[in-house]
Amino acid sequence: MPSDLDLQIEQLIRCEPISEEQVKRLCLKAREILIEEGNVQVVDSPVTICGDIHGQFWDLMELFKVGGPCPSTSYLFMGDFVDRGFYSVETFLLLLAYKVRYPERITLIRGNHESRQITQVYGFYDECQRKYGSANVWRYCCEVFDYLALGAIVDGTVFCVHGGLSPNLTGIDQIRAIDRKQEVPHDGPMCDLLWSDPDDIQGWGLSPRGAGFLFGGDITKAFVHNNALSLIARAHQLAMEGYKLMFERTIVTVWSAPNYCYRCGNVASILELDENLAQEYKVFQHAPADVRSIPAKRPPAEYFL
Amino acid sequence: MDPGNSLDDIAPIAILMDELRSEDVQLRLNAIHRVNTIALALGPERARDELIPFLQDSVDDEDEVLLALAEELGRSFEDYVGGNKYAHVLLGPLENLSAVEETLVRDKATDSITKIAAVLSPQQIEAYYIPLLKRLSQGEWFTSRTSAAALYAPVYPKASPQIKEDMRKGFTALASDDTPMVRRAAAKWLGPFAQTLSKEHILADILPIYRKLSADDQDSVRLLTVQDLTTIAKQLEPPEVKEQLLTQLRQAVSDKSWRVRYMVANHFVDLAQAVGNDIVREELVGAFVQLLKDNEAEVRTAGAGQIPGFAKLVDREVILARILPCVRDLSQDTSQHVRASLANQISGLAPLLGRESTIEHLLPLFLHLLKDEFPEVRLNIISKLEQVNSVIGIDLLSQSLLPAIVELAEDKSWRVRQAIIEYIPLLATQLGKPFFDEQLGNLCLSWLGDNVYSIRESATVNLKKLTEVFGVEWSKTTIVPKVLAMGSHPNYLYRMTTVLAVTTMAPSLSIDVIRDVVLQTLLTLVSDPIPNIRFNVAKSLEVLATTFGSAAEGQIIVKERIIPAVQNLKNDPDADVRYFANRALEKALAVA
Repeated sequence: MPSDLDLQIEQLIRCEPISEEQVKRLCLKAREILIEEGNVQVVDSPVTICGDIHGQFWDLMELFKVGGPCPSTSYLFMGDFVDRGFYSVETFLLLLAYKVRYPERITLIRGNHESRQITQVYGFYDECQRKYGSANVWRYCCEVFDYLALGAIVDGTVFCVHGGLSPNLTGIDQIRAIDRKQEVPHDGPMCDLLWSDPDDIQGWGLSPRGAGFLFGGDITKAFVHNNALSLIARAHQLAMEGYKLMFERTIVTVWSAPNYCYRCGNVASILELDENLAQEYKVFQHAPADVRSIPAKRPPAEYFL
Repeated sequence: MDPGNSLDDIAPIAILMDELRSEDVQLRLNAIHRVNTIALALGPERARDELIPFLQDSVDDEDEVLLALAEELGRSFEDYVGGNKYAHVLLGPLENLSAVEETLVRDKATDSITKIAAVLSPQQIEAYYIPLLKRLSQGEWFTSRTSAAALYAPVYPKASPQIKEDMRKGFTALASDDTPMVRRAAAKWLGPFAQTLSKEHILADILPIYRKLSADDQDSVRLLTVQDLTTIAKQLEPPEVKEQLLTQLRQAVSDKSWRVRYMVANHFVDLAQAVGNDIVREELVGAFVQLLKDNEAEVRTAGAGQIPGFAKLVDREVILARILPCVRDLSQDTSQHVRASLANQISGLAPLLGRESTIEHLLPLFLHLLKDEFPEVRLNIISKLEQVNSVIGIDLLSQSLLPAIVELAEDKSWRVRQAIIEYIPLLATQLGKPFFDEQLGNLCLSWLGDNVYSIRESATVNLKKLTEVFGVEWSKTTIVPKVLAMGSHPNYLYRMTTVLAVTTMAPSLSIDVIRDVVLQTLLTLVSDPIPNIRFNVAKSLEVLATTFGSAAEGQIIVKERIIPAVQNLKNDPDADVRYFANRALEKALAVA
């Protein structure tokens, strides 16, 4: 007999939202699981690392077609599940349902869009209002956001984070000391991890985003060396070729939203780390036109009411 | 329900009225969809006297509700108002609905009027329908006049000669209406109307209307006359077509608006069939060539779609001399949509050209299109190879196209690779075992190691199908060893393929192969270091147990080998492995 959760996963995978009551229960269970995880969650290889999804549900399905289904393939998503695309609700809830059903097979870490402030501006809040007629679902999801890990480390040597480094942090252990269960602050180490970008500079620079910093190759290499890492994997920035290695392959940007915002024309990628930590980048394109549907204008279905 | 002695016989209509006045659109919609129940409850007489007048006055509602009303009244609603002899009372509300602003509602209303027209007697038509038609045709607002155009054809054959004459005049007036919307409706309904007229009147009345509309200054009107042309031509003899319609035919082909030319191109085969062989030969071959060379890609795309259909109507020499050169040009067209449309149709020429010419003229084009940079073009060619195969035979197909197919099997786009895989079982039946082994065997196995999961998955399904085509013995020696060898790949995703393939192929394999060959590898993977492999092994063992557990030999395998392995996995440190092992154990114990 499939459990309720298995049925919810089946429903979400067809891009059909589950009921508000089901969301509430799912989010409660997710919090119970996430609260046990560290700020830097320890993950074993093999694992497939993915970047921003941004509510592009059908492109996430394309990602699973290329990388293999969950739970047979283990995944690590580096945040920015929501905002901008048409299906943030279905995207985040599906990933969350997988997390609850197979906590060992999927890791979700926080992106700068997993925040109350940002989602009110970039679409997730409006989408919840539209699909459920109230902000309750948005509120439940935001409470889960506060519990998401800030980073992950695979086999002790591949550090995964949404944005990048912080001038206030020289070691991974310092990240473990942050009290992460809060809205993303406007500055400080927690903000920087979710907002910073690598750049071709020396040392630290001001970020044009207005949060986080720019950090150069010297900073990156020092951090990798001091923490005995082999690679930093991060997301946060569009890479037209799907991924971008920098600073003598010490850091990589992985981007998993093909044809970002349905118009950028970029390809996307995932990074497969096998059990010996060999890296393979799989590039993929957006879903074909017949499945990439833009939602039809229709009256709200009954389960929303 | 017996309407005669119902105590609260005022209730049904009161309820309907209440619900129709509800604030909630959904309630009003529900009420309309139940209107036949209410009519039944009221009985025919009160339905006519109370319900219909009430509905006639309720046209002031949301379009959605009106649409539902227009539809319900056309669903044999006359049965509820006393049968065919009272069917005309339904015309009242539908007349109002035919005049509203929303096109969907008007179209549904005229549909329903057309259905009712079929059950009206000539007397009813004369007394009720014709006056309605006149009112709509002379309505002040264009909406009613556009609806009127649809309503001439349904009753014309039943009308008296005098009325028929009036009707022809009435339709002529609509075709000369000031508003293009009405002229468009006239152009749209001219064909159906023409089909009900005698030839004498087609020549005298319909042709002038057609000529006028086909020369309209609005291209949106002209483009609708292309189908009229076909309909009218079908009712005339070829010499009459030549005499009466040739000028318009030529005009349409070279209309200055591409939308008109597109309509001609898109309906070219129909048109050609309607005008007869002489005109096809003398006029249409040239016209078709002209459309295939049109400046607009949309027109060429539509034309390319008509190639085999039109080619069937002309001699082989004409295809070779006139159409093939265009086909060659189209295969190099700058628009990918034109090439995709051509790729979808070009195989249809093979049976018409015969073996020799297909080899000489079409094969090079297939090869060219198979290398097109646009995946849809390549896909369209592959999916239609069957037709070519039956003309030139598998030998030649394999010699000339197989290298290209093999190349596509390694296409960058995984969807193209997937299309090729789906074509393989068919190709296998056609090629036969020895040839297949030599040419495609390795390819099929190489997909197991594809870097896209979906291709690896399709590869396992393909191997299952091939096992069904060539038999278990073949599979055991050719495929199974390679599949099992993947089980020691250093990357877990590829070891997973072995587990996946075993799960997929098991139902098509024999119990001997499972027992002697497959199971050993699977049981080795029980102690794989990666939990993902272990729980997929558990899933696979579950499938083996349920597939083979019913036979006596199978039971032994389940008891002696599967259950101990699953019990082992039940104590795994990983929660997911334990979950799937428990599920497998339950199933295995149930069959053992």
